[in-house]
Amino acid sequence: MEQINQNKELLFALLAGVLYSIFGVLHIAEGLSINTGIAEFLFISGDILGGACLVIIGTVFLYGSREMTKGVNAGVSFVYVGILLSLVFMAVYILTMGGNLLDSIIVPDDYEGWSVMENFRPGIYLGILPLMGILYWKNRFSLNEILVVREVA
Amino acid sequence: MPEKTLDLIEPETSVKILKLTGQRSLRKRILDMGLTPGTKVEVMRRAPLGDPVEFKIKGYNLSLRKKEAQTVLVETVE
Amino acid sequence: MTKKITVALAGNPNVGKTSVFNAITGSRQHVGNWPGVTVERKMGKRVYKNTEMEIVDLPGTYSLTTYSLDEIIARDFLIEEKPDIVVQVIDATNLERNLYLSTQLMELGVKLVIALNMKDLALAKGNRIDEEKIQEFLDVPVIPTIASKGTGIERLLDAVIEEASKARKNDDPLSYDEATEGMVHELEVILKSDQYFAHYPSRWFSIKLLEGDENIIKKAQESKKYTQIREILRKTDEDNFETKIADQRYSTIQAMLRQVCDINTSQLSGSDMVDRVVTNKLLGIPIFLALMWAAFELTFTFATPFMNMIDIFFGWLAGATAEVISTEWLASLVGDGIIAGIGSVLIFLPNILLLFFMLSLMEDSGYMARAAFIMDRVMGRIGLHGKSFIPLIMGFGCNVPAIMATRTIEDPRDRLITILVAPFISCGARLPVYVLLAGAFFGRDAGIVIFGLYALGILVAVLSAKLMRTTVLRGEDAPFIMELPDYRLPTLKGSFIHMWERAKIYLKKAGGIILIGVVGVWLLASIPAPGSGGVFGSEEIYGSTDSLVGVIGHLIEPLVAPLGFDWRIAVALVFGIVAKEIVVGSMGVLYGAGEDEQNLSNILAAGAMTPLAGLGLMVFTLLYVPCFACIGVIKRETGSWKWTLFQLVYGTGLAWVFAFTLYQIGSRIGFLT
Repeated sequence: MEQINQNKELLFALLAGVLYSIFGVLHIAEGLSINTGIAEFLFISGDILGGACLVIIGTVFLYGSREMTKGVNAGVSFVYVGILLSLVFMAVYILTMGGNLLDSIIVPDDYEGWSVMENFRPGIYLGILPLMGILYWKNRFSLNEILVVREVA
Repeated sequence: MPEKTLDLIEPETSVKILKLTGQRSLRKRILDMGLTPGTKVEVMRRAPLGDPVEFKIKGYNLSLRKKEAQTVLVETVE
Repeated sequence: MTKKITVALAGNPNVGKTSVFNAITGSRQHVGNWPGVTVERKMGKRVYKNTEMEIVDLPGTYSLTTYSLDEIIARDFLIEEKPDIVVQVIDATNLERNLYLSTQLMELGVKLVIALNMKDLALAKGNRIDEEKIQEFLDVPVIPTIASKGTGIERLLDAVIEEASKARKNDDPLSYDEATEGMVHELEVILKSDQYFAHYPSRWFSIKLLEGDENIIKKAQESKKYTQIREILRKTDEDNFETKIADQRYSTIQAMLRQVCDINTSQLSGSDMVDRVVTNKLLGIPIFLALMWAAFELTFTFATPFMNMIDIFFGWLAGATAEVISTEWLASLVGDGIIAGIGSVLIFLPNILLLFFMLSLMEDSGYMARAAFIMDRVMGRIGLHGKSFIPLIMGFGCNVPAIMATRTIEDPRDRLITILVAPFISCGARLPVYVLLAGAFFGRDAGIVIFGLYALGILVAVLSAKLMRTTVLRGEDAPFIMELPDYRLPTLKGSFIHMWERAKIYLKKAGGIILIGVVGVWLLASIPAPGSGGVFGSEEIYGSTDSLVGVIGHLIEPLVAPLGFDWRIAVALVFGIVAKEIVVGSMGVLYGAGEDEQNLSNILAAGAMTPLAGLGLMVFTLLYVPCFACIGVIKRETGSWKWTLFQLVYGTGLAWVFAFTLYQIGSRIGFLT
């Protein structure tokens, strides 16, 4: 198969991969009570499992970029799946935030000193990048009933 | 052409089914899924832990454990 | 005048059969069970053009042999109840294997209409299909549908009505080679000469005999003509015969397909691309675990506010009724018994709804099959199917939805084992018990102790599964032959319907048992012991040493004494059956600490029980009888009191043995005393 120009995808995968991995590692570091200094400023709370999930998403992107640089066209699959995964996690974080906010209204006693921003996670604002990605490549995701990821012609 | 059992075929290889050697009930189920002699099977990939294995056959994807794949005798094709 | 007809909906799994069913019946559906088994039987009604149609959704099958329960159910229904017409839903992206079932349906002599579903997707994949030609070849109506959007459903119903009014078709859609046909003919002559076989389509019965279908041969053995039949069957070279027949069926289908469609096989499909990632050697398991974590987070955090709402509402309701009702015992019965009981049923509803919503998203999207594919090796080690993994993981949140999640497991024995071991996975309600006891006795090491308990739960579940597989539920592993269907975008409507069906089952069937259990415990706690002079339902009696439950506590004290527990623990454990977290509250009352947990913790740490007995109590709480909600769903899902009782006795027995060994050995060697 002849190689297809996938520079945009490659760049996107590298950027998303590096960002998700770094933020995931910061999450884990905070969870292990290692003070990184910048965590508070970026709303990164200590969360080992959540951090691990971000690292996994980052790895999916980076794995894809490695395949693409090696000339494997299907490496782009990793970019698409990475985008879907990061959007799933963005939704989960937003819903968690909403759930806790609702709960804090119902049982305020359990939430003394809690602010909704404690649930504002990198998983939410990092999600803007894949959101832009899916909008940019939306014609490749034909999401009517079946997932058809069209090969770049 | 060498005969082999399906569980020994490396991923990303195509083979042709020669014979089913399993017990009757297993054989019947495998036949029902379309693995009749002469059918072309493409070995797609193994699960991350090595078992089961995913195949492409008659345009759909099927997974079998190695134990079941062992009862399918195949020959490699180009 | 309206006509009444029965329509059976058949088809392979994952072809959109449920979407067609939903599109035809809308919300007029009800779920029951097939006679004698716990497989769901979905039925619905639709009145269309003066015809009242009773739609029966048959289990999804690849064939009509009798090697799985689903196939037996489908086949028995078609033969015994003789529906007026069968609609087979066919996945247009996967014609060859789907048409294999059509040939069997036609051989069975049923009137068939084919719904060629998802033709749009076949087009998207680059396949061209000429359905009119298929219609010509098969001589049955073929109607293209896009069920998820409701397209083509009316045309399908028109065809059903038209076809139902026609006379019955002949039943030889495909012919076999001469030798086979000869034997089929000979067999048919014999079959037709015996009234015993009049019930079955003779050609179909003959072919099944030749294929060596065990179920059919058994039926033939009961007839007087069996010796004649055996004579003919002896002529077949048994080993190869079913291969030959399956091969001829597929060849006929292939020959037809070459003329009616043009399948694009060259390109890497979207599903293959996704599979490259989610079943990747390195990333497959991490991605699966990350998604599980997401589902778990969402099920249990997003449900919390709704559970609190229900909790607060029922607390308020109980309080309000207690004030209104002046008779003390009646107030207590209504408040502490019935209302609290209904509350304890409804409190799980948010969890169940969310979990089932996510499970149906996973199932409908096609990811569930991949999850089973990824985890099968691990589960295979303990003799279970890959699909058993998800219910077990869900058990960490709550065992009730976990047990209901076993519905995704097809093999009945695998499913039963998963249900029986799921309660050993330590659920969220047990955590307050651990936190209190581990906090009181182990201070800084509490975390390790709690982690140890979770690990013990997993270990017991795994070893029990292995044990049951090799003893009471022995048998060969069900063969693992699983389709990995194309990924699809699940529709919200479909997932909601799915979710609501399950929730209804929980409320209707499990709810009753839970309620009875809760009220029963209330009675035990409220009836004063004979001779104590207490007043029924009074506050002083409730749960005290003078109540019936107090008496029971004293009665079973000798049983739990070797574990280092006294009567108060025994009573707390009885209350724990209502819901495990109640163990803590009851202990508070019984040790005179009131509602304050810190107080209770201090009393315990000051020597009310030894750390060793405390550890034993945690282990016991982990393993013994699950809560009423759990018992209710075990009964509902296994459909058997025998297995429910087995779980209770097995679990409680294990709990006793573990706590006994721990306490006896521990106190001999002076460990934690």
